[in-house]
Amino acid sequence: MTGTGQPIRVVVVDDHAIFRSGLKADLAADIHVLAEAATVEQAIAAVSAHTPDVVLLDVHLPGGRGQGGREVIAGCSGLPGQVKFLALSVSDSAEDVVSVIRAGARGYVTKSISGHEISDAVRRVAGGDAVFSPRLAGFVLDAFGTAEVAVEDELDKLSARELEVMRLIARGYSYKEVAKALFISIKTVETHVSAVLRKLQLSSRHELTRWAADRRLL
Amino acid sequence: MSVKMYRSPERMVAGVCAGLAGHLGLRVGTVRAVMAGSCFLFGAGLVFYAWLWILVPLAGDDDPSGTPQPADDGAPRLKLFRPAPAGGIRAGGGAPAAGSASAPRGASVGLREILIGGALVVLALVLFSARTGVNLDLGTVVPLGVISAGAVLAWMQLDATRRVGLLNAAKMDTPWSIARFAAGIVLVVAGVLIIVTGSGSWALVWASVVASLAVLAGVGLVLAPWALKFWRDFQNERAGRIRETQRAEIAAHLHDSVLQTLALIQKRADSPQDVSRLARAQERELRSWIYQDEGKDPGKLVAGIQAACAEVEDLHGLPVEVVSVGDAELDEATRALAQATREAVLNGVRHGGTAVSVYVEAAGSGVDVFVKDRGAGFDPGAVPPDRLGVRESVVGRMQRNGGTAAIISSTEGTEVRLHLPARPAQADAPAGNGKATNGGDKK
Repeated sequence: MTGTGQPIRVVVVDDHAIFRSGLKADLAADIHVLAEAATVEQAIAAVSAHTPDVVLLDVHLPGGRGQGGREVIAGCSGLPGQVKFLALSVSDSAEDVVSVIRAGARGYVTKSISGHEISDAVRRVAGGDAVFSPRLAGFVLDAFGTAEVAVEDELDKLSARELEVMRLIARGYSYKEVAKALFISIKTVETHVSAVLRKLQLSSRHELTRWAADRRLL
Repeated sequence: MSVKMYRSPERMVAGVCAGLAGHLGLRVGTVRAVMAGSCFLFGAGLVFYAWLWILVPLAGDDDPSGTPQPADDGAPRLKLFRPAPAGGIRAGGGAPAAGSASAPRGASVGLREILIGGALVVLALVLFSARTGVNLDLGTVVPLGVISAGAVLAWMQLDATRRVGLLNAAKMDTPWSIARFAAGIVLVVAGVLIIVTGSGSWALVWASVVASLAVLAGVGLVLAPWALKFWRDFQNERAGRIRETQRAEIAAHLHDSVLQTLALIQKRADSPQDVSRLARAQERELRSWIYQDEGKDPGKLVAGIQAACAEVEDLHGLPVEVVSVGDAELDEATRALAQATREAVLNGVRHGGTAVSVYVEAAGSGVDVFVKDRGAGFDPGAVPPDRLGVRESVVGRMQRNGGTAAIISSTEGTEVRLHLPARPAQADAPAGNGKATNGGDKK
């Protein structure tokens, strides 16, 4: 997590003005909203102009080729520096969650999240970590299977430790509680979650493909 | 995920180069230069351009098949709730040149340039053939020029996806079938000509071929725009009707659910608890309507637990989030598990007073359920033994069905862990082997 000294600069992308203003009011004082955008084109322009630390990105957006948030991430891929995306949606369907993560988002939260939690999530993403909601952890376990494997560094499978972390997050544990339950540091929990995110983004494993195909993700 | 290519409405001629540039991520100028350059390679550029013009739909135009696409990519049914664009159903008859109407300025510029270009090409051909010694008299060249100009005009007017639709309807979507179709026409024409001329004279046959082809082409050119216009109207009307039906269905659903709830919320505006409960129930209902997960099967364990949790949510107005991995058949034991889960959730909501997380994991070894709240917690040991509640409805129920239950409580919340082993293990597991470490009651 970043220190308290430096404010985190964010761009809010959502096509509902009411939601944007509500979100801005909810965000903590150390998070500065640089710009807002309501469509794919506006979002790409705003992100390119400001290169913020974090983009709060609605999954469903008008404009572009109709692919919403994914298209924004793709359109901003050439930017210098590290712009990170935190996906935000009313939807918690597998299609939306997994496809936006695979497009490159560092985390996924639903819009019903509280102001405190969303600020936390923004700080976490700005610090380079991943943000997993219980539901996203559930999708990961569903897609990768719950059988444990010994191999630590295989893209196609989760290690035993990563499985434990995912299970606890799916059970509604916060990172702090996961760390306490497994007798590891919060930093280690974050490392595990980031590793899982990487696997989710890069894996082309057979089961993941089939799981995605079953849900018409591909 | 592949993205469909569209011709750009910001166009010089037909928007092919701009569309191609957008599709390939290149600069428009580059694509145009390459396209123009390749025209000098035996006209490859021209042919390619014409091919793309015919086959690639114009951006913003309707789907050629005329059926609304429910889910092309990630943003499917939610779109239904966005307001439809003004005049969502395209007026069928009115527009004679709907395709080019979207960019009238570009189209008129393109038309002028095409005419100039066409004239130049014809002139070049004539000059070229005169130089090489092939004798082309003006009587052939001028009608040919007129015919091609007419064809370009007719096709530009209908510049839209209609041609694709027409070709598809005639099963003309593969090169092989097009070749077959062409061969058939050639055969028919040849046969007719041989009968009509009645002689083997090549000169005569040749003249007749030209004449009849000219007539056919002329009639075709005159009629094609009309035929295409009728086809387009038909498709528009069909698409409109389908859209209308869909809209009516959605409107009916929204009326039954969302509008009713909104009315109720307005009535109960003074009670925050009622409002949030109503909103939450409506959200859940709408969510299940929009985002049905194809992977989940109704009539199984997860659906049962979800229904139970929804019921508790309705009763107490506190959110209960269910996350599930895998699923199991509903039998006596899993039904009891669902019941125990319900009791645990109820207890968490009632005494914890916070949102409750439920996690269900069904794997080969059995089913695990975790119910977590963030209430103040309680000391299971301090609960008087004569209270029933959790002890009977959760721990006892699990043990009777060969499972186990554990309750872990601290000041940061309570978690109930339920485990039901898979069937074979269940058969020899004696009732009451549960490691119910902290069986207790909150009441």
